[in-house]
Amino acid sequence: MKRYKRLFVLLLGLGIFGIVIGVGNLVRIRRNSQPLEIILIQKAIDETNDFWESISEGARMAAKENGAELTIWGPDSEREIERAHQLILEAIESRPDAIVLAPISYEETLKYARMIEEAEIPLILIDSIMEEPAGAGLVATDNVEGGFKMGELMRRHATEDTAIGIVGHVKGSSTAVEREQGLRQGLGEYQDQIVDVVFCDSSFEIAYDITCEMLKKHPEINMIAGLNEYSAVGAAEAVIDMGRADSILMVGFDSSTREIQLLEAGVFEAIVIQKPINIGYLGIEAAAKLARGEKIEENVDSGSVLVTKDTIYTEENEKLLFPFFGRSKEGL
Amino acid sequence: MKKNLMMRFRSIRTSIIFSFAFLIVFALLIFFVLSLRFTREAVLENSTEYTSQLIGQVNDDIDSYIGYMENISFLVASNSDVRDYLFEETLSEERKAELRERIIEVFKTLTDTRDDIANIALLPKKRECLINKGNSELNPFISVPDLSWYQEAVDAGGRAVISSSHVQNVIQGSYDWVVTLSRNISRREEPEAGGVFFVDLNYSAISDLCERLSLGSRGYIYILDENGGIVYHPQQQLIYSGMKQELITEVMNTEASSFLTEDGRLYTISRSEETGWIVVGVSMESELMRRVDAALKIYLLIAVGLFMAALLLAYLLSDEITKPIKALEHSMKEVEKGNFAHAALAVRDNNEIGNLSRSFNIMTEEIKNLIDQRDKEQQIKRRSELRALQSQINPHFLYNTLDSIIWMAEWGKNQEVVRMTSSLAKLLRRSISNEQEVVTVAEEVEYTESYLTIQKMRYKDKLEYEIAIEKEILQAKVVKLILQPLVENSIYHGIKYKEGKGTVRIAGYLAGGCTCLEVQDDGIGMEEETLEKIFEKHVRDTRSNGVGLKNVNERIQLYYGAEYGITFESAPGKGTTAKIRLPYQKEGAEE
Repeated sequence: MKRYKRLFVLLLGLGIFGIVIGVGNLVRIRRNSQPLEIILIQKAIDETNDFWESISEGARMAAKENGAELTIWGPDSEREIERAHQLILEAIESRPDAIVLAPISYEETLKYARMIEEAEIPLILIDSIMEEPAGAGLVATDNVEGGFKMGELMRRHATEDTAIGIVGHVKGSSTAVEREQGLRQGLGEYQDQIVDVVFCDSSFEIAYDITCEMLKKHPEINMIAGLNEYSAVGAAEAVIDMGRADSILMVGFDSSTREIQLLEAGVFEAIVIQKPINIGYLGIEAAAKLARGEKIEENVDSGSVLVTKDTIYTEENEKLLFPFFGRSKEGL
Repeated sequence: MKKNLMMRFRSIRTSIIFSFAFLIVFALLIFFVLSLRFTREAVLENSTEYTSQLIGQVNDDIDSYIGYMENISFLVASNSDVRDYLFEETLSEERKAELRERIIEVFKTLTDTRDDIANIALLPKKRECLINKGNSELNPFISVPDLSWYQEAVDAGGRAVISSSHVQNVIQGSYDWVVTLSRNISRREEPEAGGVFFVDLNYSAISDLCERLSLGSRGYIYILDENGGIVYHPQQQLIYSGMKQELITEVMNTEASSFLTEDGRLYTISRSEETGWIVVGVSMESELMRRVDAALKIYLLIAVGLFMAALLLAYLLSDEITKPIKALEHSMKEVEKGNFAHAALAVRDNNEIGNLSRSFNIMTEEIKNLIDQRDKEQQIKRRSELRALQSQINPHFLYNTLDSIIWMAEWGKNQEVVRMTSSLAKLLRRSISNEQEVVTVAEEVEYTESYLTIQKMRYKDKLEYEIAIEKEILQAKVVKLILQPLVENSIYHGIKYKEGKGTVRIAGYLAGGCTCLEVQDDGIGMEEETLEKIFEKHVRDTRSNGVGLKNVNERIQLYYGAEYGITFESAPGKGTTAKIRLPYQKEGAEE
């Protein structure tokens, strides 16, 4: 009889325990269902800009997967620095669980990033860096790696007679410095054959003009690398107009429809493209992890790909080169 | 702690309640586990069913798109203008322009009526291409015959071929995401003539279909072509980057229409006979299980409610069950105290406790009878004992009286001798005659008077007596030999020690339905303590005639009950009054 009683007490306890656990579970489920609030501040929100649209798309994917409530803010163009900074202040004001920021300015945005840190809001930087490191993590294309891919390709085609010209975008900007550095590494022993490095301030027109000047100054140049879309396309147009398209091997960075056409036409030997979807995706994922108190990697490389004429329409690259946002439907 | 708990189970009632609670909890646990499992299965089944319908719908929609495009291709392939344009060996420029015009007109109507057609074009081997509205050019850097959809169309003969999703790059300046349906138009007689016709379906038509559908907040849909290539996937680029994995070979190889992965994703698969495409719906089990959580909440509420209700019921039921036991217990306590009057239980139920109660009733009845019987037997025994005692005349008294008679005879007092002897004879006769236990008051008084006569003669001037009996009680019945002992007591303890003459007064009267007999003396009286112990002290006086006061009192109480008996009133120097109270019984109304 006593044994039964003990068993009975045990089972009764178990039953109560079970009910308590059940109630506890309910409470836990309810608490977990509170979504994280994340604000993404891009350099621009522009429907015609594939790069930022892709970042937004990647960000939305990650938000959906992590059950986060994502708000994407940004000025209409990358030139509206004031507006971008204003948005940072507004973001701090609304106290989200995390902020993901693409710093619009190398120098000026740092102050605002520090304000986010002071407000103790988890911060992840994407795409670009600033004068000083900030935030808990950075998700960006490894520009040295990207430059290295360009350089490596050029090295394969290089000979003793090779003379190389580089058209950079903004002198002193981190991306320009890093890409050039990677490019030199990729060129290896041929880096000594770089005859000129010019900068276009991210303008087609300037790129066109300085390329023409450079070619006039150094007619022996037979390889040109453009370090971003503006410099690459501007340089390519100059080369075509000077009738040197066949004799000069060109490598570009980033992509646009024009650049792809130039790649198809054989003006570019290859272009290196970034993976903006990955930047957005990894940025939000890192922010969600950070907000949940998990450990994150400090520096995440979102990757880059070298695309040649033959690999434009591979499954992998097609989606990178021609991001699809279902826009054509909206247009109709 | 354990011990305490055990102690609490001592009462049957708590045992019952706890047993109930245990059973309830046990039953509820089983209910919980089973219903949760069942709900889970049901939810999963429902979700699979629901997803199947959704993605089946997607497949149907895609099929209808493809069907439509196929119709277009068939229409174009059998169009006489198109055939003329392709196969007529020689065409004048005017005729060519005319045909071009008419074909472009057809293309225009087709693209204008359908938003979802991105491109429509005829690529003849020998003649100029006809693209869309006639104002587009071929991409000069693309070799059309190398394109996979072109080759496949050629390989398929006259059958329509569906491509996977891709960027359509044959048209200069345009890079649309499309699904291409291509068809080779040829004639056996002229294999070098003919061409390929294609229609591009806007990719957004398909991606919208998939994006519009909601499989929970984290679920999604993707589409594979027959070779396992991705036609649509919301995270296509992440998959190509290697950041995400998707189950492609598993989906391609499985026969089942749905399966659940280990990480809790429910894959639902729908295959199109038309296109060979596979539409896959992926739902998160955890999201589906939210409904189970909601159910769990309801189950918990129900369980708690049931538990409460059952406990209340257990409380009431246990009360109902233990009530007769408690009644039995109460009765037993009464019996323990010897209180049989309220011991009998009302037997309501025909169960074990009813039987127990019945047995108990029989038992108490039996005990009560036994006790009664014992009492009766005791009484009879006592009475016969007392009777034996009452019949004895103190030998001292007899001796003294006889001695007195001898002295009187010697002195020649014949008269006195006769009186005393006849009185003694009366006394002896009465005490010897044992048949009757009850006599009339008159007889009792007569007997006492005989005794008094003897004593008065013995004590001469010291004793005087008076007898005053009311007429109506003379024939009343009383136990015999009750008056004489009182008189004897008065003489030996009251008058004997008094100086001078003492008087004994006997009175009989009816008071309050009772026969009262009083013996009053004016002797020395008694102290209060003596009075209190009167029944003990005079158990047996060797000098009295042997019937002690206690004997008398006991006999009266045995006969008539405890409320009757002798009472004394006395004060030192004032004499004593003894009073007998008896029920008034007339002749013939005996016992």
